[in-house]
Amino acid sequence: MEASATHLINAPGPAGGAVKGTRLGALSRLSQYLGFAPAAALYGVFFAAPMVIIVMYSFWTQNGYSIEARWTFENYQSIFSTAVYVDTFLTTLWMTAAATFATLAIAFPFAYWLARYVSRRWQRPLLFLVIVPFWVSYLLRVTSWTIILGNNGGLAHLLGIFGLSTPSWFLYDRPAVIFVLTYLYFPYAALTLFAALERFDWRQLRAARDLGATQTRALRTVMLPQIRPGVTTAVIFVFIPILGEYLTPQLVGGTRGVMIGNLVDNFFEEAQFAQGATVAVLIAAVVVILLVVFRRSLEVGEMYGR
Amino acid sequence: MDRNMITRRDALRAGAVGVGALAMAGRVGTAAAASMNTPVTINMLTWNDHYDPTKQLPAIAKETGITVHPTLGSDDGTMFIKAKESHQEFAIVSADALWVPYYYEQKLSVPFDIQSFPVSKQLYSASLDVSFWKSSGGYLAYPRAWSALRIYYNPKYVNPAPTSWEVLLDPKYKGKFVRENQPTDIVAEAGLATGAKDPYNMTAQELSKAQQFLQAAKPAFLDLVSQNTGVVTALANETAWFTSENLGTDIRVKKAGGPLIKAAIPKEGVVGWLDAEMKMIGPYEDRFEQFINAWGQANWIPPLFKEFEEAWFNEAAYKLLVNQGMKDLADAVGYNNPEGALSAHLKGPQKNPGAYIDVFNQVFGA
Repeated sequence: MEASATHLINAPGPAGGAVKGTRLGALSRLSQYLGFAPAAALYGVFFAAPMVIIVMYSFWTQNGYSIEARWTFENYQSIFSTAVYVDTFLTTLWMTAAATFATLAIAFPFAYWLARYVSRRWQRPLLFLVIVPFWVSYLLRVTSWTIILGNNGGLAHLLGIFGLSTPSWFLYDRPAVIFVLTYLYFPYAALTLFAALERFDWRQLRAARDLGATQTRALRTVMLPQIRPGVTTAVIFVFIPILGEYLTPQLVGGTRGVMIGNLVDNFFEEAQFAQGATVAVLIAAVVVILLVVFRRSLEVGEMYGR
Repeated sequence: MDRNMITRRDALRAGAVGVGALAMAGRVGTAAAASMNTPVTINMLTWNDHYDPTKQLPAIAKETGITVHPTLGSDDGTMFIKAKESHQEFAIVSADALWVPYYYEQKLSVPFDIQSFPVSKQLYSASLDVSFWKSSGGYLAYPRAWSALRIYYNPKYVNPAPTSWEVLLDPKYKGKFVRENQPTDIVAEAGLATGAKDPYNMTAQELSKAQQFLQAAKPAFLDLVSQNTGVVTALANETAWFTSENLGTDIRVKKAGGPLIKAAIPKEGVVGWLDAEMKMIGPYEDRFEQFINAWGQANWIPPLFKEFEEAWFNEAAYKLLVNQGMKDLADAVGYNNPEGALSAHLKGPQKNPGAYIDVFNQVFGA
């Protein structure tokens, strides 16, 4: 690579003199990024610009129903000094963590079994079944759980056969929210984990066992480090969207399963954009922190000794 | 020849001028008629119970040349912002009660002579005499419909009948109250429960009392649903026992196969709404009357009433509803009693909307 770069830099020009290597190198670099230009334009217009606007709104002043371009920290002060917003944020974080843990706890064994024990012939139909729920709208899928989990729902009838009644927290409470979120995000985790496990060389596990490792140790020291990027990706794909959820808590959470997204929704419902933007920025900040923390886990180089 | 005599040339000249004038008048009249039916597309910011997209709007387009593109709004606050920031994009905007004069104060809407609208003859006279919809320039909006909220309750479980908002504090009704998620209205009802004079414009002290009431009442809340259908379902399957909802909820629960539900008016009062269509400042002001005359006809109301069960201000439509066998339902929603529209505390913009949301979030946050 270096040799060819030098060759380029020192290449003779038409009159025999050296070509200006800097311009050639810059042009070459620019042409590499040209293909990225449409994506950059889309990103800039539909993501970066709205994010900038949201951040600006969070530092502007709300006056009744209007927002004024007067810079202030008051919105942040108000949010951090009001206990309910901090409490709801913390509650959202642990509910999200719980839902993410539950999702991975169910998705990992499924993906492991699918990758290791199911023949290729049956893998595709089973994966197809995992994504079939996406054919139904999100709203319908969540609403269906209000029927299943309700007092007169299918679950109540099933428990009734055994003389049991449905606990009050089956619906309109936090466990219901965590349960439904786990159901909704299972496909994301399952597909991501399967993709990671499918590439794993299972013979390494057998080799580890042959060398005296227990099954658990083999999984922990041989397999998990290699699929760590896949697990991290699955965590990101599940944790981040759940953090901003508001529809599922509204439909199945009742008054106890409220998440921070619901409070943002309340702000925007009454055109209180400054405060809503402030909380949205804080949620985005948590996401960025998460991605920075997990960034190292996504690097594959050290796994292969590079 | 005598100078005072009209010559043949004079007569012919006068006749030609006259015919020319008549022809010109006819052409101007035709041009005026043509411009009133010139195809035009206007944007209307409204709610889905204000129009029928399948038959009514196409018929209006055919009759008047006005094609309406409705944009659905959610609540008055965000609709106001949308109307204001869109810079005359919307020719017609729907709004509730005291929001109408607010639009006018903000120089977004235009008053008009409602009595000159032929279709206004079909309205109840009470709807043409709403004091806060009057201005020196005319009426501020064309009245559409109204409702007031009631405490609807299942008498099998809730007895005695509620007479006060304090029923929400009764521990035996824990987790049995369901309501639509309308933060401002819920806080306003809490304000009524604690004696606020103007529940939609409470002072800081009144808001504090309302918050305390709501905090104490929170255990009664089973769920805050996004739509009326959620309330109806909860009452029909008896997951919830009572609610605060629009007139006619008892009929809807019955239609959903639910039990008998009764209505109660708490002694502290209830909130309500009346909505209307406003003529917005913009390039299509001259087509507003034409649209309203077509849109407001009584024959369009029965299908909308059948779907949404709301009391319109159109008296001629009530007669159609009676003829079509919907008298009981119409009476259940108070259709023929438009004066009832003004008996409730009506929705309007708050001076401090952020404070209302803060109160709501502090009670219903995690």
